[in-house]
Amino acid sequence: MSPATSPSPVPASSAATRSPVYALVGNPNAGKSTLFNALTGLKQKVGNYPGVTVERKVGTAYSQHGQALTLIDLPGAYSLAARSPDEAVTRDVLLGRRADTPTPDRIVCIADATNLERNLYLVHQILDLGRPVILVLNMMDLAAQAGLRIRADRLEHELGIPVIPCEAAHGKGIIELKLALSRHELPLPRHAWTVPPALAPAVSELQASLTDHDAKGPLVARAEALLLLTDPDPLRVSGSTPLSAPTQRLLESWKTRWQGEGTDWSGELVAARYEAIGKLVAQVVVPAEATAGAAGAGAGSALALSDRIDAVATHPVWGWVIFLGIMATMFLAIFTLAEIPMGWIEGLVGWTAERVAALIPPGAFHDLVIDGAIAGVEGVIIFLPQILILFFFIGLLESTGYMARAAFIMDRVMSKVGLNGKSFIPLLSSYACAIPGVMATRTIEEPKDRLVTILVAPFMSCSARLPVYLLLIAALVSANEVPLGTQVGLLLLLYSLGTGAAFFFAWLFKKTLLRGAPPLMILELPPYRLPRLRDVFFQMAERGWVFVKRAGTVILALSLLLWFLANHPKPPEDAARPEDPLAHSYAGRVGRVVEPVIAPLGFDWRIGIGLLQSFAAREVFNSSMSVIFSVEESADEETGRARLREALRAAERPDGTRLFTPLVCLNLMVFYVFAMQCVATLAVVRRETGGWKWPLFQLGYMTGTAWLLCFVIYQVGRALGF
Amino acid sequence: MLIAPETQSQQAGCVIALSPGQPASSVPLCQLPAGASGRVCALRGETAFCQRVREMGFGERAFVTKIGGRGPFLCVVNGCRLALNHDAAAAILVEPLAGAAA
Repeated sequence: MSPATSPSPVPASSAATRSPVYALVGNPNAGKSTLFNALTGLKQKVGNYPGVTVERKVGTAYSQHGQALTLIDLPGAYSLAARSPDEAVTRDVLLGRRADTPTPDRIVCIADATNLERNLYLVHQILDLGRPVILVLNMMDLAAQAGLRIRADRLEHELGIPVIPCEAAHGKGIIELKLALSRHELPLPRHAWTVPPALAPAVSELQASLTDHDAKGPLVARAEALLLLTDPDPLRVSGSTPLSAPTQRLLESWKTRWQGEGTDWSGELVAARYEAIGKLVAQVVVPAEATAGAAGAGAGSALALSDRIDAVATHPVWGWVIFLGIMATMFLAIFTLAEIPMGWIEGLVGWTAERVAALIPPGAFHDLVIDGAIAGVEGVIIFLPQILILFFFIGLLESTGYMARAAFIMDRVMSKVGLNGKSFIPLLSSYACAIPGVMATRTIEEPKDRLVTILVAPFMSCSARLPVYLLLIAALVSANEVPLGTQVGLLLLLYSLGTGAAFFFAWLFKKTLLRGAPPLMILELPPYRLPRLRDVFFQMAERGWVFVKRAGTVILALSLLLWFLANHPKPPEDAARPEDPLAHSYAGRVGRVVEPVIAPLGFDWRIGIGLLQSFAAREVFNSSMSVIFSVEESADEETGRARLREALRAAERPDGTRLFTPLVCLNLMVFYVFAMQCVATLAVVRRETGGWKWPLFQLGYMTGTAWLLCFVIYQVGRALGF
Repeated sequence: MLIAPETQSQQAGCVIALSPGQPASSVPLCQLPAGASGRVCALRGETAFCQRVREMGFGERAFVTKIGGRGPFLCVVNGCRLALNHDAAAAILVEPLAGAAA
């Protein structure tokens, strides 16, 4: 049974007015991103698919004739029977279901030549769509090293589509691929495979029903019929386009019948595909030498090297030593190496502020630009070096293949709280910023596990909390210079507190609110490879740019709003009874309103303003304190910090007692560890969970926990005489 | 929806796969000794999990070599290294292959 019995050439673009759209699709770790980068260079646009936090990468490649080609890099997938949000995006784009993305004119499938059988499974499903496909066999060098000779010409003959051998990491095969992309016409695939006889009538009936009642084209209808029978959950297959009632009834009647007969329909379909693929692979893959025993077949030098590394990297003891060593190196780099470029940014922003200030005459507009816009954006953009370093390490770990090993190592710990190793990567990303952390949950297949990971990710102390911690530690310790040991010890304590909270609440949610069966983890561990620094820097630059854009839009707008609230209305000019402008402002009034709520924690209305402003970005607390306690600006960074520290130590309550006692400083740090104070994260969580229910719950339980803990600490501390 | 893991076709596949000299009993993958190889004969657990395992080429009749680990476990299937946590490895029943080692 063949989906395309009479292949006819298809022109590159059905729409004459736009450039042809190619979708790039393949299994995870097949080298898709490397190929995408090789084809598009810097001409990439990174965004998100509306409605989900799945990254959308679109680039422009050029054919050999100089024609612009649009290339969509789809998330890696093992099957079109999607099990996670990113796989669902791949399926929906290929099936033409997404209104925000054009249906690809052509599809470029990339397959890992070292594991052709598994990779051809997805290719096989895509060929069912009856669209023009180009197959790229990547990592041909590694396949050769593993003792496999792949007859690409034979595969091309069997499938009827262009098959390009390639080594994307070394740039080999890119020209041949561009030549294939440049072809005006491409043949349709002519692969054939036999649907099991027990299922064939159902496939035909479902195809007819999908065509008649769901307005699907014949080939797409057949592909969807096969998917409906491959995935046991029809809701997952249909996604945002629910099945019509007749198709739904037809599907149910067939399933009821098969259940009565004891037919495992989905298993049989997969087995039939693999049988067809097995026959194909037998014709095109020639082992260099006879392989004794199928288990471990194809294990060549690359695999043997990976095995040797894994013997240490996944060892119960040495694995942990390596893992902790890498984590320690990463955090050390984030908190030490970043200091230098952070100083540069501070200097650059200060220089810009001075120049701009000289151009704008004093007045409200001057203050708006300098104190609102520039100061607000600086508070966030200053963390760009830390974000870049973190993503450099994450890219390095992914590129070498170690990240999957880290998930492997952490699985034992994560399983104690009801999650699996896959949740570790989002939590690790959240140390830089919860937003990429939430985005990284898209690879978690089980919806409840994904939600739990999203709910606890903001407990991991992000880089925005760091300056607040450092300021409060400085205020807490009486010496002018905080001893390094004390600083590191306290920081370690705060980071551990956040991590512990994330694990505790994950355990609690999995036991109560989001109870579910223990997750079953199956994770591919790619062979170790030398890192592709070009790709690492690409990814780092992409993430950095997303962060900068956020600073230039959301943070800028919020900074302007907060500046307005802190400066308006102006107090009446009464020389006899001068009034504090801040106390008179809207922000001051709000601070007074929230004071009764935070007073039991030892915080007054001035701290309250800082806490409220932190919802825009936590690090704004520092600049709020500078404004509130009238710290003079200093061009010298160290002097500025010292003045702020002194101002906090000198701050008093109306009764003359010290405001920032060690107990209050400690309580503030605990509050910042636990409270949900990031509007941008809440917005991303809303987008990811499809409504306000979970972000509001997150805001409530995290901030509620923070309040409760601070209340206990302050009241007990006071009772003990601190 | 849960499916019965020991459907007739799967059991049949498992029986057919056996050859003289191989033990007749199947064991969960988690109990397969490190370094030993086996052939998958049945999958237990949620349908979605079974389906994904099959789609990754780890279905019935696939050969697997357990490299090591105490949970999670490290295995090789068709030259591809996969990590499975304890519950996932317990859901995959294998027939140990006599004399086969990694």
